[in-house]
Order: sequence, then C-alpha cells, then structure tokens
Amino acid sequence: MPRITSVESPGCPPLRAITTDILGLIKVVEARTRPAGVAKVVETWGEPDASRAILVASLADRAVDPVLAVARKNGVVELLNPLNGDALAAFKFSRTDQTVGAVENDPLVALHLFRKHAPDLTTLGTFLACTEKGKASVRSVAKENTASDSDVGPSSTWDVCNKGTLQFSSVDAGENYAMFGGNGMEVNLWDITSCSKMWSAKSPRANNVGIFTKPWFTAGTFLCKDDHRKIVAGTNNHQVRLYDTASQRRPVVSVDFRESPIKAVAGDPDGHTVYIGTGTGDLASFDMRTGKLLGCYVGKCSGSIRSIVRHPELPLIASCGLDSYLRIWDTNTRQPLSAVYLKQHLMTVVIDSHFSAEESEETKSKQPDSSMVAEAAVRREKKKKKNVFVEEDEEGTQMVDPDDCDAEAVRKEKKKKKKKTVTEDDEETQMVDPDEGDAETVRKVKKKKKNRRVAEDEEGTQMADLNDSDAEMYAPKRIKSESGERSKGTKKKSKKQQVA
Amino acid sequence: MAREDRKRRQPDGDEAADEGERRGRRDKRPKEEKPAPPLPSEIRNKEKRSEVYAKLKREKKAQKRRLGRERGQAAQRAAELGEEVPEKQVPRTIENTREPDETVCRPDDQELFAGNDADEFNAVLKQVVTPKVLITTCRFNSGRGPAFIKELMQVIPNAQYVNRGTYDLKKIVEYANNREFTSVMVVHTNRREPDALLIINLPEGPTAHFKLSKLVLRKDIKNHGNPTSHKPELVLNNFTTRLGHRVGRMIQSLFPQDPNFRGRRVVTFHNQRDYIFFRHHRYIFEEKEKKIVSKDKKSKGETKTEKQINCRLQECGPRFTLKLLTLQHGTFDTKSGEYEWVHKPDLDTSRRRFFL
Repeated sequence: MPRITSVESPGCPPLRAITTDILGLIKVVEARTRPAGVAKVVETWGEPDASRAILVASLADRAVDPVLAVARKNGVVELLNPLNGDALAAFKFSRTDQTVGAVENDPLVALHLFRKHAPDLTTLGTFLACTEKGKASVRSVAKENTASDSDVGPSSTWDVCNKGTLQFSSVDAGENYAMFGGNGMEVNLWDITSCSKMWSAKSPRANNVGIFTKPWFTAGTFLCKDDHRKIVAGTNNHQVRLYDTASQRRPVVSVDFRESPIKAVAGDPDGHTVYIGTGTGDLASFDMRTGKLLGCYVGKCSGSIRSIVRHPELPLIASCGLDSYLRIWDTNTRQPLSAVYLKQHLMTVVIDSHFSAEESEETKSKQPDSSMVAEAAVRREKKKKKNVFVEEDEEGTQMVDPDDCDAEAVRKEKKKKKKKTVTEDDEETQMVDPDEGDAETVRKVKKKKKNRRVAEDEEGTQMADLNDSDAEMYAPKRIKSESGERSKGTKKKSKKQQVA
Repeated sequence: MAREDRKRRQPDGDEAADEGERRGRRDKRPKEEKPAPPLPSEIRNKEKRSEVYAKLKREKKAQKRRLGRERGQAAQRAAELGEEVPEKQVPRTIENTREPDETVCRPDDQELFAGNDADEFNAVLKQVVTPKVLITTCRFNSGRGPAFIKELMQVIPNAQYVNRGTYDLKKIVEYANNREFTSVMVVHTNRREPDALLIINLPEGPTAHFKLSKLVLRKDIKNHGNPTSHKPELVLNNFTTRLGHRVGRMIQSLFPQDPNFRGRRVVTFHNQRDYIFFRHHRYIFEEKEKKIVSKDKKSKGETKTEKQINCRLQECGPRFTLKLLTLQHGTFDTKSGEYEWVHKPDLDTSRRRFFL
C-alpha cells in the first residue's frame, strides 16, 4: 500500500480545517466535493520563523464574524480572520504585575476565545489565557486597540495554582466554567464570571502495594455539552479519568490505555464518547459511561498526537501532531478519510464548521435547483459580509497611509461591479427554474430586494466613510449584525425548502 | 495440471508405444505423440533431477550471456556508425522501485530550509557551538562494549567517556547539560555484545534510539589502518525524507563541521533501505606511472609512461549498522516522552516503503 493515504481513503466530505505549527505558519486545509474526497492545503499564512512558533490557537466558530486567536512563542497574541487570514489585532501578552521579559519563562499554554458574541460593539473578542505557572486571565480586545501594539489589560485575573506547571485548560460549552490541570496539580474547576474555584479533584487512593502516584494531568475536556459537572482528564501515566464534580472528588471511572502518556482529549457531542490521543501516536475512542474502549484508529500514525477536534455536525474528527500529518477520520467506521502532509510539527488544529462546500462549484453549476439557489444566496450574503470586513480593514489602512487610496478605490469599484454581476446571475437562474411555485419566487424577490438594500447601505456607508471618519467604526458593524440575522433567517428558509 | 498443459502445447512427435498405453488411460487426447521433457521437479530420481536441472541452468546462463553480448555488439556498432546508442538497461531493485513518498524533501522547498534553521542542531551545524560528546554505557558493560567505545572515541573528536555507575540516564543528561555537552551517546550491551545506540542531543533533544548490529571491531578487519587524530570528513548518503534529514542532521551534529582535509580521514553514514551503515576510512591519492604501449605501426615497441592519479582506501574500523527504532521529542524520557516517530508494525505495509 502506498504511504499516501489519500489514495486509499474512501473520501473526505467537504471540510475546512486550520492548523498551526512550530514555525508560526497557519495552514488552511480544505476538502471539497470536487474533486471528491481529497483534502489539500489551500492557503498558508505567515512567514516561517521559529521564534514566532504558535503554541496554542483557538477559533470562535461562528457563522458571523469568526475570529481565530493564536498565541505565539514570543508572547504575542494575535487575532485573525479565519476566512482570509487578515490580522485583526496583535498585542504583546504580559501581565500587569510582570515585566515583558518574563514571557520566556512563563509561556502561554492555554487560550480560549469565547464564542459568545460580546454585547458591546467595540470589542473584537474576549479570551481566557493561562500561562504555565497558572496565571489565568480573561481579557477582551477592543477595536480601538487594534492599531496600537500596547498590552490589553485583563478584566479579571486569578492564580489557578501556586505549585506545579499548568498543561491544559478547557472551557465548557456554556462558557461559564473552565477547568485546569497540569504537572503536580490536580484538576480544578473554576467559575469564570466570579473567578472562584468551585471544585478540585483528589488523587485516587494508593494502590494495593501502597504506591501513590503524583498527579500529572496532560489533557482534559468537559464530557457533555449541557453539563459542566462531568469532566474527562487524561494523565501522564496513561489513564483516562472521569470526574463527576457533583458527586465526589475522586474519579468515578479510571481506565488505563496502553503505555504512553495521553496528550489530547476531545469530547463528542453525543455526551458520552471521548477521543484520546497518546504520545506514541495511538488514537482511540472511549465510552465514558462504562469506561469501555470503543476502538482504536489505525492508520500508520507514528508521531505523538497534539490535538484532536471533533466536527460539530459531521461524524468525523481531525487529529494532528508531531508526525506532521493532519489526519481526518470517520468516527463511525474509524477509518482514515484523508491525510495531509504539512511538513512541520503541528501544534493545534481547529475545524471551521461553517465552511460551505459548494463555494467552488457555484460558478461551475449551470442550472442549480431551488435549494441550491437559496444556498447560493446565503453564501453571497456571507461573501458580502466578508467584503464588508475587507473594506473595513482597508479603511483602517487608509487611515494609516493615504497614498494607497487611489488603488483601493479602484479595487472597490471592481468589487461593486462584481456584485452587480452576481445579482444579475441570480435573476437569470431564477428565470431558468420553471418548477418553482409563485410563493417562492415572491420570497426570492423579497430577498433580492433585501440584498440590494444591503448593497445600497454599503455604498451609503462608504460615502459616509469618505466624509466622516467617526461614523465608520459603527455603521458597517450594524449592517454586519443585521445581515447576520438575515442570513440566519435565509438559512432557515433554505432548510425549509430542502424539506419541501 | 501443469503436466497436461505442457502436453497440450506440444502434441507432435512419434512415440506410438507410449501412445496406446496413454490412450487406454485417457481417451480425451488421442493424438499426443511425443512427451515434452518433464520438469526437473517432476523427476523422482534425485541424481537425474539434478542433472537435468543443471543442464537447464547452464542453458539459461548461456542464453543470458549471448543476449548480453548481442546487446553490447549492437551498441558498439551503433556507436561506430554514429547512430543513436540504445539505452542501457537498468536492473530493477528495491531502492529504485521505492514507493512514492510525499515526505521526501525537495531542493526547492523553502519551508524545509526554514525548518532546518529553526531546529535544535542549527547552533552546532552553523559552527556557533563546537560539538562536545559524552559517551557512556548501560549499567553492565563488558565484552565487546568497552572495546567498541574505545574505537568510537577515536572516531568522534572531542568525545569524553564517563562511567555510568548506577546513575539514572536522566541524571547523566542533567550532568552533561551542566557541563555544556552537545550530545550524549549511550552504548547499550546485551549479553556482552553491543546491541543498541542512543543519541541524545542536548539541551533540548531529540533522542534517537538505534538498533546496532553487525559490529566488527578494528582488530577483526583485515589490513586495517590506524586513524589519526585529525578531524574527519563526513559523508552522509541517502537521507531523503524529512525524518531522514532530521536523523542525518543529528548525526552530523556529533562531528565538528571543519574537517582537516590533510588528515584524509572519512567517516561514512550510508543509508540504504532504512539501515544506516557506518564505515571509517583513510584515503590516499597516489601518483602512479603507467606504461602505455602505443598502437601505431611506426613506433612499434615504443612504450610511453603516463602519470595517473588513483585513490586508495584503507578501512580503519569499527564497522557497524544502525537501524532507527524511535525518535523522541525532547531529551531521554521514556515514561512521559512524546515521540516524533516510532516504528510500529502496522507501518510495515510493503518492502518498498522506507522512512529515512
């Protein structure tokens, strides 16, 4: 069998995954429906530089306005747009009570970007960061702060531990609780809003020979989406433990798995399955209700697994690690679907679940059916959103250097033209579809009107931008949020149509 | 079945007596007249069988030689006539039918160079730091182990032997780190025979674990030379994949990067089918006068002398073979270490798949 597993794989469903590596590169891997089942690198962001190695990354996986946060080795935290790789903000991470030079001794080990949208419009994102010595803090990045390289002050900060080194942290689905664990410290559960420790684990009793093992947790996650009380943690001496914080401090279930430390744990949306990866490249899934091994993922994986992500909807997981491969597995059959060689030691992988597969096909398909048209409309709106993003950025740059103004204006005009052509296309496709009922067409026309209104709004805002610089910070944002709502609405519609 | 097939292919001949008998047995084939010579494996008499087999082999060999000669003649003729010389046949080997591998490094890969600049060996290979190697053993070192270490110390300049005692390897790594060693080598012996080699790069790893086999010490090599204390030249062959590059660079970082070419000493690490062959040679360029008898008729019998430079090699041991078992991220830590590459049985899917 050849080493290139993509040949023998049954095919990978449309997917977009983003990996980060030790050279500070961010690589985007996409699998599309055409050609089917082959995942490949579509984009690489950043220059190779070892001092800017990415330690951790976190994606706020939203339909509207997603943000990717990466923490680099030199103490810089960056916020990026995961759709096009534009840097939204970058700032030096340091604590207020520390000097900047302390970053080397106390690197960031955990980062979580909150998925919930901040209520006020001035913030780009809020994240929980934790350093190796257990200094956790919640910070929010304001939009005014993007240009300045200064530090962002923490809104709240606390010490998770006073001894040992922290190795992981995980935030539950509701984003109210965070768990921490590491070498020489037990698993802790913290309330983020009040910054108070809720619960901490207790080591299991000494075994029958009387040997007591030092706590060393290497990975962990919350088991259920809607329940923050069940925690799964992997230890360095190859145990997977389930803690129930509501009942007791000692583990409820504890299972041994092979011989090497557990390096990655990921939960499944079904609420009882976890995926674990070890230091020798073994990947397995466990049912934590019983502690039974469901099965191993066998596929020539020979390097330590650093990160596992489960796709929120599709039954697949992505794993990456020191063997430089991003592997995508089917969770039902436990077969490898695809493997992409990414050349560097990979640190983290995140999956962008809002990736629409037919984006590439949009231009190719000549006679799309009704659902396709609806989806295309949704996508177009998304694209517009993107455009708004880009324009915003461009405006930002305009503020900085006015020399490039002309070129950008030309580009904008081009974009507008494109948009117009797109809407025309939409009309044409409608003309083509003869089967559709009148009601639907009416709805569509409405939608189109909406779209046009959005376009007009955009133009209006652009005009406003040229005149007034103060208004620009807020006006596009409003449109964005509105369009986001709209897109949700249209999505629902499209679903209905599909059902029909 | 094979016999029947053969008979069907060669039905002509004249052997009537046999035919009647056969017809009695099987009526389906009435027109078989001459039996084909039986396969050697079908002959029961061993002497006869070996005779027939030897004859077959001889014929095959002769035919092969004849074909080769014909090819050679055709090529020569083509060369004389100024035509295009037919392509020389290349035998198919396991190496040149190796399975395609996407991890093989390409010379135009900018990411590879950036990765190399960022790795742990860069300081040594860019000659910022001079390599300093600590050699130690497993806890019970006897038999050929000490002799092997003695020779290894002569191969690697700036190497230092440290008694293992009863220290943990982690303690020794710490000790070496404090004394600014750049690598630690551990020779492991089993049943008084060296069988494994561990190379730990300091201060941040990685750690490579090799199986060591086919060890021949210097005194067992015929006509061996004795190495000088010059810094050797290093030859690393066939490290093609990303993993191979990493291992190659790790080996490279054991040796100083500024060889004394006057010393005429070469250390070779040759990788073939994932086995790394170690050889240590001295070489010399010699000027030799060679007599050439000129072919012209006028100057018949006149001999010319021509100076020719040829190179001679002399092996000066030891000689051994390494095979990579694991490459671990970080310094030696079997319990909580992360592996960059582990050899697993499910990786061996084909004979034509190699990792280095």
